[in-house]
Amino acid sequence: MKKIGKGIGVSFYGTGYGNGFPDVSRAIIRLLPEGKIGIYCGVTEVGQGAKTSMRQIAAEVLGLGVEDIELVHENTSLMPDSGTAAATRQTYNTGNAIKIACENMRTELFKKTKEALSLNSTAGLVLENGEIILGFFPQKRISFKELAEIYKGEKILEASGEFTAQTTQMDEETGQGAPYWPYTFNACAVEVEVDTNTGIVNLLRATFAQDAGRAVNPQLLEGQMDGGFAMGLGYALFEDLNIENGKMKNNKFSKYLIPTAMDMIDIKNIIVEDPESTAPYGAKGIGEPVMIPIAPAILNAIYDAIGVRIKELPVTPEKLMKAIRESA
Amino acid sequence: MVNIGLTVNQKLFEISVDENLRLIDLLRDKLGFHGTKEGCGEGECGACTVIMDGETVNSCLVMAFQANGSNITTIEGMEKDGKLHPIQQAYIDAGAVQCGFCIPGMVLSTKALLDKNSHPNRDEIREGISGNLCRCTGYNKMLDATEMAIKYMEEEKE
Repeated sequence: MKKIGKGIGVSFYGTGYGNGFPDVSRAIIRLLPEGKIGIYCGVTEVGQGAKTSMRQIAAEVLGLGVEDIELVHENTSLMPDSGTAAATRQTYNTGNAIKIACENMRTELFKKTKEALSLNSTAGLVLENGEIILGFFPQKRISFKELAEIYKGEKILEASGEFTAQTTQMDEETGQGAPYWPYTFNACAVEVEVDTNTGIVNLLRATFAQDAGRAVNPQLLEGQMDGGFAMGLGYALFEDLNIENGKMKNNKFSKYLIPTAMDMIDIKNIIVEDPESTAPYGAKGIGEPVMIPIAPAILNAIYDAIGVRIKELPVTPEKLMKAIRESA
Repeated sequence: MVNIGLTVNQKLFEISVDENLRLIDLLRDKLGFHGTKEGCGEGECGACTVIMDGETVNSCLVMAFQANGSNITTIEGMEKDGKLHPIQQAYIDAGAVQCGFCIPGMVLSTKALLDKNSHPNRDEIREGISGNLCRCTGYNKMLDATEMAIKYMEEEKE
């Protein structure tokens, strides 16, 4: 018999290394020939979209288009360390470092503009479309390109920035404290169909809401939500290393099943924006948290459908049939 | 060694190969088409997908000599006159690429699907790319990309 059930899962997740561990990101910004801006930063692109979103943050500070920003990364001889692309930390931590470095670069650009235009102050200068303009008298202006002509070779303009996340160590005795900052929140609701004759669980519908502080790039964010959902789905229903005597028995994709396109369904993704005051334009990372509420939502939906509480993953058809028999 | 001739991306190659050489090694190591990726090497992940005489194959499971006389398209054969194929452009525009490792095979599976069925529904697209595993995207943006590509190709015809 096929039975339908609904379930929800909610989670919160502390991003960054946490627990008082030094969590530092650094970036150097340079004015390149033709007036482009170069970010030199150890941020690693692993498919999460760092290459896009880090350039967006720099473009926002410097009043440029993303196409005018070059990111030079993943080469330790050319750039400072920015920590690992792990712990859901790059958007918040390295985004902050790049924002601070770009703000320092802006100060530098304003100083050089004051000299180049013989102004007596940097007050009233604004950045707009690759130009530095005196807001109340726009005839006074100079472009990034013109500044790059003056400041090239050994005189190249650069600024750096560093961000250290604020976290505190937990009390070792009691395990109490506030080990992470910031946290990110999410909620997932699914509807499943459980076949009580075969033990097969089919997803019917899903809605997934993720807090991002601020969505630097909503399209990339949705992509990570879809991906996290698929991983959570595999974790809940298919993926089993099957370790016996320390050996992984399911060591190939014909045994260790991960979701294919046919296992996934269309998900209604909701991005919740509640800017975090210490984050770059309010943006927090979501890389890992997007996996967390999925399996609980699916297990709750199975319970709602057939009244059987599953406590071991993955819920393979065999395990589910056994659980159904034992509960009868 | 055995002498074979095959067409890859509309160019004819005649080459002498070891009997135990796999098609993926021929493409990557002998002919320089590095866009074809080797994932599991066991025909399970689809990363090494190429189109051989209109059908997708796992190039890790085809022997080079079996490709004698065949017509093969790899990811390098998708773009024309320096312009990306509409499917490639749609994958970028839809945000369907994350780490990128599965993408060459995924794009070729999408092409093979659309060559046979120019207007698949979402379930048919799911089935069409189900031989290609992706760990990053959850596939949904790839479905969006395929639908976008269908529109791009219609616009190109007009």
